Amino acid sequence: MNGVLTLLKPRLWSFLNGNVARDREPRNIKWLLFGGIGFLFWAGIFTVFYRVLRYFQGVEGFGDILAYKLLSMVLITFFALLIFSSIITALSKFYLSRDLVLVHALPVSPAQIFLARWIESTIDSTWMVVVYSLPIFLSYGIVYRGGILFYATILGALLPFCLIGSALSAIAVVLVARFLPAGRIRTVFVFLSLVLFVILLIAFRMMRPEQLTNPDTFASVLLYFRSLETPGSPWLPSTWIYDSLREVLSGNRSGALFHLALLWSGAAALGYLMTWIAGAAYFQGFSKAQTTAERLLPSRQGRGAAGAWLLGFPSGPTRAFAVKEIKTFTRDQTQWPQIFLMIALIVVYLYNFSVLPLDKSPIKTFYLQNLFSFLNMGLAAFVLTALSARFIFPAVSTEGVAFWIVRASPVSIRSFLWVKFWVYFLPLAILAEFLIVATNLLLQVTDLMMILSTATVLLMVPGIVAMGVGLGAAYPDFQSENPAQAVTSFGGLLFMILCAGFIGFIVILETGPVYSVFMASLNGRGLALLQWVWLAISFALVILLCVLAVVLPMRLGERRLKALA
Amino acid sequence: MIELTDLTKRYGKTLAVDRLNLSVAPGEIFGFIGPNGAGKTTTIRMMGGTLSPTAGAVVIDGIDMAARPEEAKRRIGFIPDRPFLYEKLTGMEFMRFSADLYGVGDGTFLQKAEELLRTFGLFDWSHDLIEAYSHGMKQRLVISAALLHNPRVIVVDEPMVGLDPAAIKMVKDILKDLARRGTAVFMSTHTLSVAEDLCDRIGIIHRGALIALGTTRELKRLAQAQQADLEEVFLKLTEEQTLS
Repeated sequence: MNGVLTLLKPRLWSFLNGNVARDREPRNIKWLLFGGIGFLFWAGIFTVFYRVLRYFQGVEGFGDILAYKLLSMVLITFFALLIFSSIITALSKFYLSRDLVLVHALPVSPAQIFLARWIESTIDSTWMVVVYSLPIFLSYGIVYRGGILFYATILGALLPFCLIGSALSAIAVVLVARFLPAGRIRTVFVFLSLVLFVILLIAFRMMRPEQLTNPDTFASVLLYFRSLETPGSPWLPSTWIYDSLREVLSGNRSGALFHLALLWSGAAALGYLMTWIAGAAYFQGFSKAQTTAERLLPSRQGRGAAGAWLLGFPSGPTRAFAVKEIKTFTRDQTQWPQIFLMIALIVVYLYNFSVLPLDKSPIKTFYLQNLFSFLNMGLAAFVLTALSARFIFPAVSTEGVAFWIVRASPVSIRSFLWVKFWVYFLPLAILAEFLIVATNLLLQVTDLMMILSTATVLLMVPGIVAMGVGLGAAYPDFQSENPAQAVTSFGGLLFMILCAGFIGFIVILETGPVYSVFMASLNGRGLALLQWVWLAISFALVILLCVLAVVLPMRLGERRLKALA
Repeated sequence: MIELTDLTKRYGKTLAVDRLNLSVAPGEIFGFIGPNGAGKTTTIRMMGGTLSPTAGAVVIDGIDMAARPEEAKRRIGFIPDRPFLYEKLTGMEFMRFSADLYGVGDGTFLQKAEELLRTFGLFDWSHDLIEAYSHGMKQRLVISAALLHNPRVIVVDEPMVGLDPAAIKMVKDILKDLARRGTAVFMSTHTLSVAEDLCDRIGIIHRGALIALGTTRELKRLAQAQQADLEEVFLKLTEEQTLS
């Protein structure tokens, strides 16, 4: 056990050293900012659940059933999240971390290394789920007057619940790494994400969420109740934690204790099984992972299709960076699952528009269609922000330790950043216009709204991309093993806040004038002079804001990146 | 060809390079040696334009690195001590990437790239991803890419690290050949036998300052150790500085 603790010390010391680092002041600001936003989310979750549970409590007859059903769904979601996040973390901790070669050269057994890594992985993958589950349990405790025993049960149940999730993931990862060809570990990411994507899509379609709110569609009320009361599988750990919480809330202490015992014995048995499997398979899997990473797609002589058309461009830095950017991006298999998930998001987004029950609304459909179209500009821009946060913000950080090549090359940092801008601007602009035009067609909006929304989004996209590239350059992380995580940094957060503000301002600036133009055309009259002035000023401000959103972040990024030297 | 004037770099309170003055002529191979942490890599990085000096100037082929960095860099073949590359590109793609950056036209690229990759024994792997290369292969690829644009100045940090004996001999021959054709070579190294064998002049840096400069013979005279090899001269001079 001493060996395991020693192996955990570098992580602990690095964390503690972080507090005495040279940049202590900015670090404190970051902690405050992250802490503040984290707390807001925490409080938000609590408020929503508290109000929902209060409402349920007031529903005579089946309010409690709904509350328990909600708890069961939340726990299943948490369990799925735990499994998924544990698999991703465990893969990295067990096989991909840079320090593993050094650690395996130390005079400690692979079993000790595995155990130390598993503890780290468990903490990393579960802490956030635990932190954000607490406001939900707290709201149940308050609304249903859980008492001290309820909170004690939660504490006693959450730990084995997390251990079970993490142990199951570790077993899966060790087995996959043992039997899949070496170097294919990353392929697992693709596979898992594809599976997740398909499950999500099928589940979404089968749920038909728009009908869930309408009990009329069930054959009878009895059937509706039955569907709500269906118990979870007795093999699922989320059922054990659910049962223990339900029993303690209904005052059945021995029942709660029994389900708690199930959780703990399940965790202990899985822990034993995991160490046994790891002892037999971990080191072999690690050895396999050391060999050259094989590609998911076979090698092609004279490869170059990914950017072949770009080779028609005159040679120069632009072509160099553009080809490099496209090839490294498309060949990085860790990017693919994220793309699949983003596609899933977009499909769901468009699907939502196709099933909007506009005709059932008491408000005039024509008015509502155009209102949605207007709000959709903001929504689409938020979707683009999410995409940018994942793919564009880390674009500079992905240069990683190879950034010396850029610094040593006869290309200015400005040109380097602008190439990045154009490489990402073009696909994002096309996607943005596709989203807007598709949703507008689904909504059957007026020509005016179609022109306004396509133009506005086209104006906003350069700003969003420039903020991604510029702030990504201002807050780069060249040492990260996973540059995609850069978005969870202070800079990433700043990017999202600024993007939200930017989009919000544009929408607000356009709301008033667009409403007057819309109403005027609806009533068949012209605009007053004051309205024309208002319109001109608003749109001039929109253009100015969009220009500033491009120029300022790019300049900041250039200055900060130059100052790094 | 290379002029360093009062070159200084400070990291917070630490003075990494202290008013360094040096010049390297065309066709000269200059060796830069010193103990760990003496300021060699910092100097090399400032010369390569990857690090800005706190004070002083780097002039490459008459071009001030601070004033016109792109033009100065275009004349340099920069080889860092650790070959970090874009792992998802193939060797040939990295060569094309370098060619595009340094303005090597499409017309001459393929012939030049193939020639260099063959010379460095990488041609058979030129369509494999760099992530599959060994450390030595990556180092050879960096050197190949650095020579692609016929640089007038080669700045190289620890050129022999990770190379096998055959590759070391090949690199030495190539550097000698480049110097014969007028290229100025500035190289930092810990391998004193390489410096002794290859360099026309050697500078010894210690605690950021240049403590000795001259040919191997001049350094031996300075250290009052005529019969000693460069290693003994180096140890004697740096020891004297540490004690003083």
